[in-house]
Amino acid sequence: MSEQKKNRIRPLRVSPTGKDPLEVWVVGINHETAPIELREKLAFPSGELGDLATRIIASTGAEEVVVLSTCNRVEILATGSQKLELAGPLTEFLSGEAAMRTADLNDHRYVYRGRDALKHLFRVASSLDSMVVGESQILGQLKEQFRIAADHDNVGSLLRRCFEHSFRVAKRVRNETEVATKAVSISSAAVDLARRIFDDLSGKTVMLIGAGQMSELAAKHFMGAGVRNLIVTNRSFDRGVELARRFDGTSVPFDRYQEYLPMVDIVLGSVAADGAILEREAIAPVLRGRRGRPMFLIDLGVPRNFDPTINQVDGCYLYDIDSLASVAQDHRAERAKEAAKAEVIIHEESDSFWEMLHGNDITPTIVALRGKLEGIRTSELDRAKTVLRRMDPEDREAMEAMTQAIVNKILHIPFSVLKDLAREQDAGGASEAKDFVHHLFELEMLYEDKSKGG
Amino acid sequence: MRSLLLEGSLLAYLIGTVAGGLALWRPRDGFRHATMLALLIGMVLQGSSILARSAASGGIVVRSFPEQVSFFCCLLVAVHLLAQLRFRLSVLTAVVGPLAFIGSLIGLVDQGAVANVPESFKSPWLPVHITLAFLGNAAFALSFLVSLAYLWQERQLKSRAISQWIRRLPALESLDRINFTFLSWGFVLLTLSILSAVVWAELSLGRFLAWEPRTTWSAIVWLIYAGLLHARVTVGWGGRRAATLTIIGFGVLFISFLGINMLTPGQHAVAYG
Repeated sequence: MSEQKKNRIRPLRVSPTGKDPLEVWVVGINHETAPIELREKLAFPSGELGDLATRIIASTGAEEVVVLSTCNRVEILATGSQKLELAGPLTEFLSGEAAMRTADLNDHRYVYRGRDALKHLFRVASSLDSMVVGESQILGQLKEQFRIAADHDNVGSLLRRCFEHSFRVAKRVRNETEVATKAVSISSAAVDLARRIFDDLSGKTVMLIGAGQMSELAAKHFMGAGVRNLIVTNRSFDRGVELARRFDGTSVPFDRYQEYLPMVDIVLGSVAADGAILEREAIAPVLRGRRGRPMFLIDLGVPRNFDPTINQVDGCYLYDIDSLASVAQDHRAERAKEAAKAEVIIHEESDSFWEMLHGNDITPTIVALRGKLEGIRTSELDRAKTVLRRMDPEDREAMEAMTQAIVNKILHIPFSVLKDLAREQDAGGASEAKDFVHHLFELEMLYEDKSKGG
Repeated sequence: MRSLLLEGSLLAYLIGTVAGGLALWRPRDGFRHATMLALLIGMVLQGSSILARSAASGGIVVRSFPEQVSFFCCLLVAVHLLAQLRFRLSVLTAVVGPLAFIGSLIGLVDQGAVANVPESFKSPWLPVHITLAFLGNAAFALSFLVSLAYLWQERQLKSRAISQWIRRLPALESLDRINFTFLSWGFVLLTLSILSAVVWAELSLGRFLAWEPRTTWSAIVWLIYAGLLHARVTVGWGGRRAATLTIIGFGVLFISFLGINMLTPGQHAVAYG
C-alpha cells in the first residue's frame, strides 16, 4: 500500500468493453531501420498529425493514438484492447499512406508492445534512439506532437501517463548522465563543418530557407559561432519576418530568395515541400558568380529540399541530415559510456513504470480481497466479543494482533502471485487470475452488496 | 667543423621532426614552440655549414646534387618558419621537419673536396640568382604541400567522411589563401631569379640568355604560375582548380629541376657539374 501512495496511482482507463485492459503498441520506422527515401515518403507535416491519429483510430480499432513524425522517425504509438493485435493494422495503415506494399514496409518497420513499447518511448524521449545520441530537439518534438494528439482527443489516460512519464525519464537522464551535455546536435555538427570550409564565420552570411523549429535551432548555433548576417525566407512571410527580427537579420520574399544566393555562404533548407526546391541548374551559375568562394548547403528537410547532385558542383558542399549525423559520430564514442548509464536508467524506469501500471491493475482485486478477509475477521471478533470482554486488555490486544497476522499470512502468497502475474509481459495471466479470485471469494458480490446498501 | 655543423643540424631537425609529430598528435603550444626552435637551430647550423663551404671555395656551393638538396632544404625551412609567423600550420611543419632531416642527411653524403669554379661563376650575381631561384622553389614546394592538404580535405568534405586528422588542418578557405600567398611569394622570387640570371649572363658571359633546356623549362614554369595567378586575380579561380594547377606547376618544376639538370647538357649543367 505504501508503494501505491508513493506513486499516486490513479485507476487505469478501461476499454469500452469494460474488462479488457489496454496494451501499448509502437509501430514505426527510424533512421536505423529505413533509408531516407522511405522516411521521406512517410514524413507527415505536423499540421496533419491530429487528423492522421483520428483516422488511425477509426481504421485500426486502436483506443488512443499519438503519431510521432520527425526527420529521423515516423512512428505510431497506440493503445488497444489486449485481445487486439495492432501491429498488422498499423503497418497496413502506414504502407497505405506511403502507397507501398505492406510486405516492403515490413522489412523496415519495428514493432514493440507492452513493456518494450514503454522502453522504446523512454529511449526516444531521452534521445538514446536519436541519430545523434543526446541531442535535445527530440524531447521538444515529442512534447509538441503529444500535445497535438491530446488536442484532437486522441489520447486517453494510459498514453497520457506513458508520455508524461517519458518526459520525466528524459529529465532524469539529462540530470544524471552526461549524454545531453556532451551531445552534439545536428546543428552543431553543421557549424563544425562550416568551420572546416570557412576560416572566419563572422563575415559570412547564412540564409534560412524555411523558418521551422529545426532551422531556428541551426540559426542559433550559427549565431553562437559568430555569424552576424542572417537572411530568412519563408513561405509565410510574416513568420519569416518574425524569425529574422529575433536574430537581427533580414527577411526576403520566398519567391525571390534565389536572387540573394550569390551573397550567401551557408544555406540552410528546412522547407516542407514535396520535392527539391533548389536544383543544380540554379546553383551552378551562383557559384560562378561567387568567384570561387565555396558554398555550404545544409539540407535539414525531409523530404530533401536540395537536389543531391548539387554536391558535384565545384565549391559546393551539400550535407543532408544523414551525412551530418555520420560526421557527428566521432563524438559518439565519448558518449557511449554515458549512454550506457542512461540505458540503465531507462531499464529501471520502464520496469518500475510497467509494474506501477499493472500493479495498479490488480490493486482493486487486492483491496477487495483484503477488505473481504478483514470483514470476516472483524465480524468473527465481534461474535466473540462476550468472551473477549472477559479478557484483560493485554490479552485482547494479543488476540487482535494474532487474527490480523493470520489474515496477512493467508493473503501473502496470493498477493505475491498476483503481482508476479501482473509483471509478466502477457497481461492475460493476471487478468484470468483476477477473474478467478473475484469468483472464488465472491468479490463481485461484495461490490454489489455495497452498491445496494448505498 | 663543417661536418660538425651538418651533424648538429641533422640532430636539430630530428628533434624538430619528433616535436612536430607530437604537436600534430596533441596540439599544444609547448610542442609547437619546441618544433619551431629546433627547426630554427637546424636551419642556422645547416646554413652556416653551407656558408663555410662556399667561403672556402670562393663561390656558392651548389654543384653536386646532395649540395643542392641540402641548400634547398635549408631555404625550405627558412620560408616555412617565416610563414609560421603568419599562419598556424602544424600539418605543414610535420611534413617540413622530416623533409629537412632527410635533406640534410643527403647533404652529409657529399663532403668531398671543393673544386675550383670557373672565373665567370665567381660573379656576385650568381649566388643572388641561385638563392632567389631556390627560395622561389621553396615557396612553390610549400604551396604544393598546402594544395595537397587542400585537395585532401576537400575530398573528405565532398564525400562526407571526415577523419580526425582533417581536424588539424585549417579551413579550406584558409588553405586556399595560404596557397595564394606562397604562390605570390614564389612567383615574385622566380621572376627576380630570372632577371638576376639575365643580368649575370649579360655581365659575365657578355650575352643576353642562352636558350638551353633549363632556361626553357623555367619559362614554362613561369608561364604556368603566371597564368594561375592571373586567373585567380581576374576571374577568381581558386579552390580545387587552383590547388590542382599548383600541383601540376610544381610537378613541372620538379621534373625540370631533377631531370633537365641531371640529364641534359647546358649552361646550368656546367654550373652544377
